[in-house]
Amino acid sequence: MASAVSSTKHLLRASLRSTPANGYTSYVPQCRKIVLSFCQRFPSSTNTRTFLLNDLERIAKKNPHVEFVVKQRNGQEPVAQGFYVSGRDKVIPLNGFEPNGIEKKINLLLDSSGAKITHLKRGRVVESSQESARGIWSGMHVDKPFVI
Amino acid sequence: MRSWLAGLRNISARSFHTPAVPGSASDALNLIRSQPSQYIIASIVGRKYILAPRDLLTVPHLKDVRVGDSIALSNIHEIGSREYTLRGDPTIPSTRVKVDATVVEHTKGKMEVVFKKKRRKGYQKTIKNKHPYTRLRIGQIEIVDSQP
Repeated sequence: MASAVSSTKHLLRASLRSTPANGYTSYVPQCRKIVLSFCQRFPSSTNTRTFLLNDLERIAKKNPHVEFVVKQRNGQEPVAQGFYVSGRDKVIPLNGFEPNGIEKKINLLLDSSGAKITHLKRGRVVESSQESARGIWSGMHVDKPFVI
Repeated sequence: MRSWLAGLRNISARSFHTPAVPGSASDALNLIRSQPSQYIIASIVGRKYILAPRDLLTVPHLKDVRVGDSIALSNIHEIGSREYTLRGDPTIPSTRVKVDATVVEHTKGKMEVVFKKKRRKGYQKTIKNKHPYTRLRIGQIEIVDSQP
């Protein structure tokens, strides 16, 4: 009735894969492309057009790893889309901002890693994939074991 | 100049099966380095964290750093492994233990909504807040060899 217990533990293939740790030995910037779309006529795109003419080149030169695309979308509101290595994208509408505000939103896209926005205060302060260096406490491995 | 050895408060060894407590801090560091994994207790922006290599640490937004920059942790209070701990008084000199952290991203947390109301007084307000954070990837713990 009792089956023979195998002494060998099966090594599952998934346990041999490595977890990503961007920034550990080398850092790979996560933002790969930013698409700025604007309208040629509508007044809501005026500040975006000013930004594209005056400031975009400077920012693009400062971030050579990012592809900057300027897309004309007539009749639509100005939008900045950031595309990330993870495959996700972030979309930020640019109407209502001055050119320096638009620059701040572009920097927000550049600084982000593309990960989903989550609550970061509790429970995610230190995210570790390592086992504890000190190990887990065991009542049988203490200097004075408890004696009833 | 006060010897850094005099500043170290506590050298302790856990577990009944290890040899006697190491006499000097250099011996302690060599013992800690010989073990498979180590941890540190470091304070960043005034808060203490237990950190290991490859951890992702989230701290409130750091103004002076850009994404991809490397930061050397200067306030390391304790370094330990499975069986040994070395505690500084109050910190271990950075000439002996070096840990770097890479800035992975500047991000904002999820939208927090705080609703305040005083009943029967006509006072109520809604505060919306997205806290800015900086995420750091902890690098390798380098214990500098005292005898070259």
